[in-house]
Amino acid sequence: MPTPFRLDEHPRRPHPPLAPPPDRYFEQLPMRVMQRVQADAPGETARGWLTALSAPVRTALASVVVLGGFAASVLLSPAPAPGTSAAAALAQVPREQMVQYLLASDQRVTLTDLAELPAAATALPTESYLHASDQEVQDLLDAQPTEDAYL
Amino acid sequence: MEDQEILAKFRDPATRNVAFNQLVRKYQQKVYWHVRKMVVSHDDADDLTQDVFVKVWNHLENFRQDASLYTWLYRIATNECLSFLQSKRRRFFLPLNDVGAELTAKLEADDSLAGDEVELKLQKAILRLPDKQRLVFNLRYYDEMPYEQMAEVTGTSVGALKASYHHAVKKIEQYVNHQFPND
Repeated sequence: MPTPFRLDEHPRRPHPPLAPPPDRYFEQLPMRVMQRVQADAPGETARGWLTALSAPVRTALASVVVLGGFAASVLLSPAPAPGTSAAAALAQVPREQMVQYLLASDQRVTLTDLAELPAAATALPTESYLHASDQEVQDLLDAQPTEDAYL
Repeated sequence: MEDQEILAKFRDPATRNVAFNQLVRKYQQKVYWHVRKMVVSHDDADDLTQDVFVKVWNHLENFRQDASLYTWLYRIATNECLSFLQSKRRRFFLPLNDVGAELTAKLEADDSLAGDEVELKLQKAILRLPDKQRLVFNLRYYDEMPYEQMAEVTGTSVGALKASYHHAVKKIEQYVNHQFPND
């Protein structure tokens, strides 16, 4: 009859007979630990209090930060003045590009349509303009500098 | 270098690195083998041993010396091992026995047990114990740690530890005798 196994009769070992670690493992381990410690050092304080929190608290904190950031960005951004945004955007387009666009489009716009006569509009007396002779009109037009009157 | 001297030097920023290096050299083998007995694989034991010493570095300044440095290190290493095994079980949805089976497979792949059938059977029986009971068994059987010190490491009463060890021994003997009745 076989003898039943009894632990106190079994030869005791200092640790289980597992394969030993690689050669020089314990010589190199302190250096590797020091490298990890030095690498972890800069962010230590920042992470310290975060890691001390439990996972649900960290998740809740992250949600509050994200929602707070969103709310702050909405509240703090200046509201655009109604009606001014289109005019402001149009004002940023260079004049030459705008003229090229209008002339190239199918709107049948000509240089004459785009002409500005600010000086003429203010300088001409209404009554003389309404009853002006052909010569007077021609003289007034000739008096306008071409580069100012036309684009 | 004595523990007190290591601690004193660690508190001085000028000698902190030297003191910590001495601490690692002094306790690395005990920590490594304590961890290795729990996780079996060298790679896992290597990672966990480094994690233990990184935690020691981060908290040594606040170590209050209620317990000895040796006991404190064992406690950190023990918690790391139990967390590692628990997270592994949670990550892969493994029941208790499957982690034991995985550790047994690693053990069988280890050539150093080839030819020693009784020892292999004993190790398989030990790996079937629940993690905490296996921890108690290792501390008592292999490290021959006094029960009072084990109580400090595990935070369990001496009476509960004695009972746990006694039951562990009975389970191991029963497993070896029932699984391999021809021995």
